[in-house]
Amino acid sequence: MALLEVDNLSIGYQTPKGFLKAVEGVSFSLEKGESLGFVGESGCGKTTMGTALMRLLSRNGSVKGGQILFEGKDLLKISDEEMRLIRWKKIAMIFQAAMNALNPVHRVDDQIAEAILAHDPASSREDAKKQIEDLFQLVGVPKDRMRDYPHQYSGGMKQRAIIAMALACRPRLIIADEPTTALDVIVQHQILEETKKLQKEFEISIIYISHDISVVAEVCHNIGVLYAGRLVEYGSREEVFGSPVHPYTKALLSSYPTLTGEKEKLEPIPGEPPNLIYPPSGCRFYDRCLLAKASCKTEPPAGIQLTPTHNVLCSNIE
Amino acid sequence: MEENNKPVLQLEDISKIYRSKMSFFGDAGKEVVALNHVSLKIFKREIFGLIGESGSGKTTAGRLIVKLEEPAAGKIFLDDNEITGLKGKALKDFRLKMQMIFQDPYQSLNPQVSIYDTVSEPLLIHKIDNVQTRKHLVLQTLKSVGLSPPEDFLYRYPHQLSGGQRQRVAIARVMVLKPKFVIADEPTSMLDASISAQIFNILLEMREKIGVTLLFISHNLAAARYLCDRIAVIYRGNLVEIGPGEEVIQKPKHPYTQALLDALPKFGHWDEAESYDTLLSMERDISQDAACPFFCRCKVANQRRCSQESPHLMGSDNSHLAACFYA
Repeated sequence: MALLEVDNLSIGYQTPKGFLKAVEGVSFSLEKGESLGFVGESGCGKTTMGTALMRLLSRNGSVKGGQILFEGKDLLKISDEEMRLIRWKKIAMIFQAAMNALNPVHRVDDQIAEAILAHDPASSREDAKKQIEDLFQLVGVPKDRMRDYPHQYSGGMKQRAIIAMALACRPRLIIADEPTTALDVIVQHQILEETKKLQKEFEISIIYISHDISVVAEVCHNIGVLYAGRLVEYGSREEVFGSPVHPYTKALLSSYPTLTGEKEKLEPIPGEPPNLIYPPSGCRFYDRCLLAKASCKTEPPAGIQLTPTHNVLCSNIE
Repeated sequence: MEENNKPVLQLEDISKIYRSKMSFFGDAGKEVVALNHVSLKIFKREIFGLIGESGSGKTTAGRLIVKLEEPAAGKIFLDDNEITGLKGKALKDFRLKMQMIFQDPYQSLNPQVSIYDTVSEPLLIHKIDNVQTRKHLVLQTLKSVGLSPPEDFLYRYPHQLSGGQRQRVAIARVMVLKPKFVIADEPTSMLDASISAQIFNILLEMREKIGVTLLFISHNLAAARYLCDRIAVIYRGNLVEIGPGEEVIQKPKHPYTQALLDALPKFGHWDEAESYDTLLSMERDISQDAACPFFCRCKVANQRRCSQESPHLMGSDNSHLAACFYA
């Protein structure tokens, strides 16, 4: 059985202007030790989905349907207390802008110790410190910097400390929301390589959430492409980026400058994503799609399975 | 590229040093060298890319050129006229020729000013056109940056626009003056890929239409490859490599450029794990400042020579240069 199975998940936010359907009908599964990447433009629902998996949606957000099965248990049905025990112990998260995720008035090792002691009250402070030493070695931060305050760290070191914190309780699943966006490329590369190594060593499953398709392509086995709250294409990295099928995936790829191969003219995607308070009744990509037929405007797109692993949400595929 | 051409912009031995203020604990006057003897020439209708990581001094270079700051040493020329120390009328004329597109369109537009007023303000300041023709010019410019129909945008305010639309307004405000030289400092780092591509194409179009010369400042080598004729790589305030865009990316000479390319995700080429491998995994400990700025992270460095002698930009042909003895 898969570690995580998400079925038909729908999430929305109550806003002053109406109910915003941020994520609709998303299904995917994640095996132990695998990594899955979600890409899409800002506002496509990728962060919403990540926070929903941790049950950390903001107060005006709510899950409208579907299930999240983690190790066979539906996370949406368990009590807050049960969820608290799973959070960080089993599922950890690396938040967007991790630079600001550390508390500036506490020493870094104390902050990580807090996470360890909260989930393992039996262990002593000394044990926790010992564990943190190991973690720091793992993520490549010198041990003698443990007692520093966050402001004494560089951006890359803060990011490593955050990764150390995410690993502190040996979670089964890590949700990494834009883990390297604010970092320079050389540091980004080091951290991605480090994470890959740790993932293998501890058989952790990781969900990467990013707008940068090249980063996701580098580290993930499977890729999900989100557009306006819907999972429009889902499959292995080679399938989705090597032979993309959905017009949005294709458009996204051709708007992305590359370093290798022929220099081609970039084709931007015209227009803007739809307003999700009043989403269109048909395909949500209709307005921007170059291949759309008249029926796409009114009828919701059909899900098509191309291979056992490659799924696409489009009615217009031969 | 166009060597026989006269440069539009020329930087001669520019240095910029920031001094930290006296702190409460007394470690006063620490010097940070943001730019270290940088010289460059940018030719007419060229798109020139300045690439570097955060803290490399690329933004400082841009700010010096538009005269938001003054260099500590060196000279900057626009069309043979020195711009350091310009004042009054001459400075205003200079600003008409030299414009800047900023990184964050959420902060660079005044939220209380309508799009029409935003775009027409530069015309007002420089007394271009009269009231009747001004509106026409604004409409035309908005249309040329892809805000159509332009009439719909005239009386909107920034909060009613998306990030991409805002950046287009920022570009329209610059281009309405038909400047000679424009600096774009990370113009798309806040935008999604699909929107970035729109902005890149608008910049390319602007060059065709009004013959503007562009300095594109970015950390993104792939974007620079798409947009730029020539690329310069800057590391801790030092130009380390300069050359034709495609050549710098396909055949980088400087170990730092090579390390940068190694670090970038090879999108679509996961199996070809070919790398230059020039970056030391552990930084060298050095007691005093090494002569080569990349010395402490460089794998190919020679212990004696690179720590004592500082390399200048050099190369067998005149177009592609690198500041490394072993390039």
